[in-house]
Amino acid sequence: MLEEKIRNIKNQIVKSIERVKNSKELSDLKARSIGRKSDFNKIMKDLKNLSIEDRRNIGKLANVAKSEIVKIFEKAAREIKTKSFDHEAEKIDVTVPGNKIKRGHLHLITQTQNEVEDIFALMGFEIAEGLEIETDFYNFDSLNIPKDHPSRDMMDTFRIKNKEDILLRTHVSATQVRYMEKNNPPFRVIMPGRVFRNEATDVSHEHTFYQMDGMMAGEDVSASNYYSIIDEFLKRFFGKDIKTRMRPSFFPFTEPSFEIDFQCLICKGKGCSVCSGTGWIEIIPGGMINQHVFVSAGYPRNKYQGFAFDIGITRLAMMKHKIDDIRLFQSGDLRFIKQF
Amino acid sequence: MKYSYDWLKKISGTTKSPQQLADLLTMSAFEVEGIEKIKKDTFIDIDVLANRGHDALSHVGMAREIAALEGKKLKYDFPKLVSKKSGQLKVEIKDNDLCSRYIGVMIENVEIKDSPQWMKDLFEVYGINSINNIVDATNYVMLELGQPMHAFDVDKLTTNNQKLTTIAVRRAKSKEKIKLLDGDEKELSKNDLVIADSSKALAIAGIKGGEDAGITNNTKTIILESANFNATNIRKSRTRLGLKTDSSDRFEKEIDPNLTEIAMARLIELLGGKVIDVVDNYPNKVSPWKISLDLNYVNKLLGENIPSKEVIKILNSLELKTTPHLYPPLSKGRKKGGVVTIEIPTFRIDLKTQEDLIEEIGRIYGYENISSQMPVAHVKPANVNENRLFEREVKNILAGNGFSEVYNYSFYSARDAGLAQLGSIKHLELENPMNPDQEWLRISLIPNILKNVRENLKNFDEFNIFEIGKVYWPNKSVLPEEKNILVGAVVIKTKKSKKATEFYTAKGYIDASLQKLGISDHYYDDFNASPVDTFTPTPKGNGSKTLVRGFITLWHQGRSAEIKIKRGGKEIGYVGEINPLILTELDIHQRVAMFEIDMTKLKEVSESEMEYKPISKYPTIERDISMIANENVRVDDILANLQAFGGNLVLDVDLFDIYDFENNTSSYAFHIIFGADDRTLQSEEVDKLMKKITSNLEKDLGVKIRK
Repeated sequence: MLEEKIRNIKNQIVKSIERVKNSKELSDLKARSIGRKSDFNKIMKDLKNLSIEDRRNIGKLANVAKSEIVKIFEKAAREIKTKSFDHEAEKIDVTVPGNKIKRGHLHLITQTQNEVEDIFALMGFEIAEGLEIETDFYNFDSLNIPKDHPSRDMMDTFRIKNKEDILLRTHVSATQVRYMEKNNPPFRVIMPGRVFRNEATDVSHEHTFYQMDGMMAGEDVSASNYYSIIDEFLKRFFGKDIKTRMRPSFFPFTEPSFEIDFQCLICKGKGCSVCSGTGWIEIIPGGMINQHVFVSAGYPRNKYQGFAFDIGITRLAMMKHKIDDIRLFQSGDLRFIKQF
Repeated sequence: MKYSYDWLKKISGTTKSPQQLADLLTMSAFEVEGIEKIKKDTFIDIDVLANRGHDALSHVGMAREIAALEGKKLKYDFPKLVSKKSGQLKVEIKDNDLCSRYIGVMIENVEIKDSPQWMKDLFEVYGINSINNIVDATNYVMLELGQPMHAFDVDKLTTNNQKLTTIAVRRAKSKEKIKLLDGDEKELSKNDLVIADSSKALAIAGIKGGEDAGITNNTKTIILESANFNATNIRKSRTRLGLKTDSSDRFEKEIDPNLTEIAMARLIELLGGKVIDVVDNYPNKVSPWKISLDLNYVNKLLGENIPSKEVIKILNSLELKTTPHLYPPLSKGRKKGGVVTIEIPTFRIDLKTQEDLIEEIGRIYGYENISSQMPVAHVKPANVNENRLFEREVKNILAGNGFSEVYNYSFYSARDAGLAQLGSIKHLELENPMNPDQEWLRISLIPNILKNVRENLKNFDEFNIFEIGKVYWPNKSVLPEEKNILVGAVVIKTKKSKKATEFYTAKGYIDASLQKLGISDHYYDDFNASPVDTFTPTPKGNGSKTLVRGFITLWHQGRSAEIKIKRGGKEIGYVGEINPLILTELDIHQRVAMFEIDMTKLKEVSESEMEYKPISKYPTIERDISMIANENVRVDDILANLQAFGGNLVLDVDLFDIYDFENNTSSYAFHIIFGADDRTLQSEEVDKLMKKITSNLEKDLGVKIRK
């Protein structure tokens, strides 16, 4: 009898709960079903009037039923809560712009510089810095460019008023002998920095730009090593598929001298306007360090050998990001800077 | 230089097409810049390298290069100079340093006529005017052999002796004048070399001929010149005179004095006529020289294994004579190594060292055939460049805080400096500036940043920018002192209700950035201009802490501070508003705050490692206190007072509200956090502390605590 009554109550609750619409109705139902005045509570209260054996059996049954009922109510409460939140009413226009977050931008030259430095750092190169204002010795003579040499004509030089033999360095190579004076081979080093040329500015010419020289020297560092280092750098910078080639060139501070080209990324070597129809783009000048440079640094002639090269950071940045006006770099214009 | 393909083909014997030839040259000798069909011929534009101008700027020279690359023999018969002595011509070289050889040849009964059409067509490609057969022949020989030449009309020369014509190679007299072939007149100096008769200069040696002795249709007897002039002097003269000619281009690249003879023989061959005298004034004959080449070094430098036999073959293809047998000889089964002595022909002036020869071997062997091998090096981690790393960190922190990085020129104008009140400080000046706007080398980044602010205000109303760069302070040593300086600028939309928002915003950015750099003991001291040091100083006279009126300073004297570090009281930079009067001058009509920090000093005080401080296990108690203070009470005083009487139990004090009243008093509200690291603080203890704090604030600073 009692067992059936308990079962009925439970079934009744399961049925009624499906019709419940809100938490008020749910709490009412809960009160009616298992509250103080409910039939179920009456059964529980009346348990004490039963025989010991019945009390044990029915009591157990009633308790199990109660905990099941409580769980049913908890579940129903969760469902009602979930349903009660009206998403539609709070719907927003997700296309409205996000709140402006102030973000800073590193200059593109800094970013390019960092990228190049990191590639060489992974290959064990250290970074050395030189001076922006230099002597003729470090900028020219030490690099096998004597006074009155035509090579000096190729680099229009800013000079300082009333100061003999002082200039704004025309290339970061001016740091080479300075570094060698303080270090002995074997070494691997890159030397980044700002350089100056006294030439009129236009979309492709600037009097202030950025370079990075590199050197590796030791007892047997070879041209073959040079090619592999530069090839590796270009592959890491422009992408694995890039093709490179090495051909002869001339620079006073290297002998032999090389020019390293990479196959035009636009036409894949077929020839287009970007590569002036040749299929190749000249990218890194360099060569085996001229013994004259070692001697300038105070090393004995032919004791060491190694390579030196020069990377045009500004040019790399322009090529990689398709920038067609070199003057933008020093414009301070945030419309440019904030693009990167 | 442009080269005629047909001509090159004839002399070199190549069977390659123009494109194939271009590819070969680009990869093994010189870059080809273009190929162009002109009339029946094709011209290849070859960019001859600077060290090969002496031999390769001619068709024979280029053909010789092609023959070497193809391993062929040159098909050119070098003519021999006839000898003829009649005593009618005399050549006097007054300065052998400037002229190492002069061959003069007198020819009579020359017929003056037009050149054939093919030669006129050829000259058109080179922009050379066809004049007559004599002048054209000298130019033709220059294109063929690379030797510039000249011809004089003997009848126009002044001679003291009817039977003897004397040609002098001498320095020009000071202010000596010469009328050139094109009618232009030049005034010469003692550093210019001239060819002269007994009365006047006939030509500027190696640069351009004069009008007086020029060949005309009436010319009967001529003197031909083939000479060798000092390269450096030619270069200096032509630069000074502003005369760049085909002739000076070649002479300034230093050409072989032995070429003069071949060229003269060729010219005579072309002209015909009766040779009546040949004078060769060549006091110091240049002979081939020898270089010992270590064959092991060849492969060590190139990183390749080229057999000795092939090395010898390459050298021979370049017409370099190797001693007949190597030491030790190759025949004894040895394929590599050894030393070989090489004789360098005088036309290869550029070959002076072993490395020069290794370059020749490498490029003819083919750099594309050299395998790519990563260097073998000891695993020695690269040294870290601390300065560079630090600079990168600072840049990243600033960018993270919303600052964009600008790069400016290292120069500004005297006017820019003046506007920023830096005009009275000694600057380095450029001797040859691009324009007057870029005449002075910067001692401060601020003038250019101010321009950035003005320009960017046209497109943005709120931004933060910074630059890290070198400034150049003149000093007593040879080179100036280069200092690495950071300048930041804060531009915000002006909110009139808040006082000095720009200043406090800039200060906030500094606090946040320094904290990230591990600096916790910095403070801001009243502006106290020091003598000229790292920073942009104000004009002298402001040594005291009182405000100076009556002259303009770069910084707003009431709204600027020195950034100092407690350890050693070190000053690392400034923060402040830029003087609004200066901003107005620059057409900036709002307040701008900036900070200027010496990167070297900043690095010295930054800590790379930050140490963890245990987080208290005990709850904290928070209290607010607000007060009204008059204008001479500074927040720093209140904070110091609070800390002094609150002691260790005051964990943090936060100023959360300021209000300035019209009567020059201000209201401040602080939020104080109390806590102990060894127990739970009781409310009563904090109440007691608060009482102590309030009474001391009232007593010491005269503030009125708002209840």
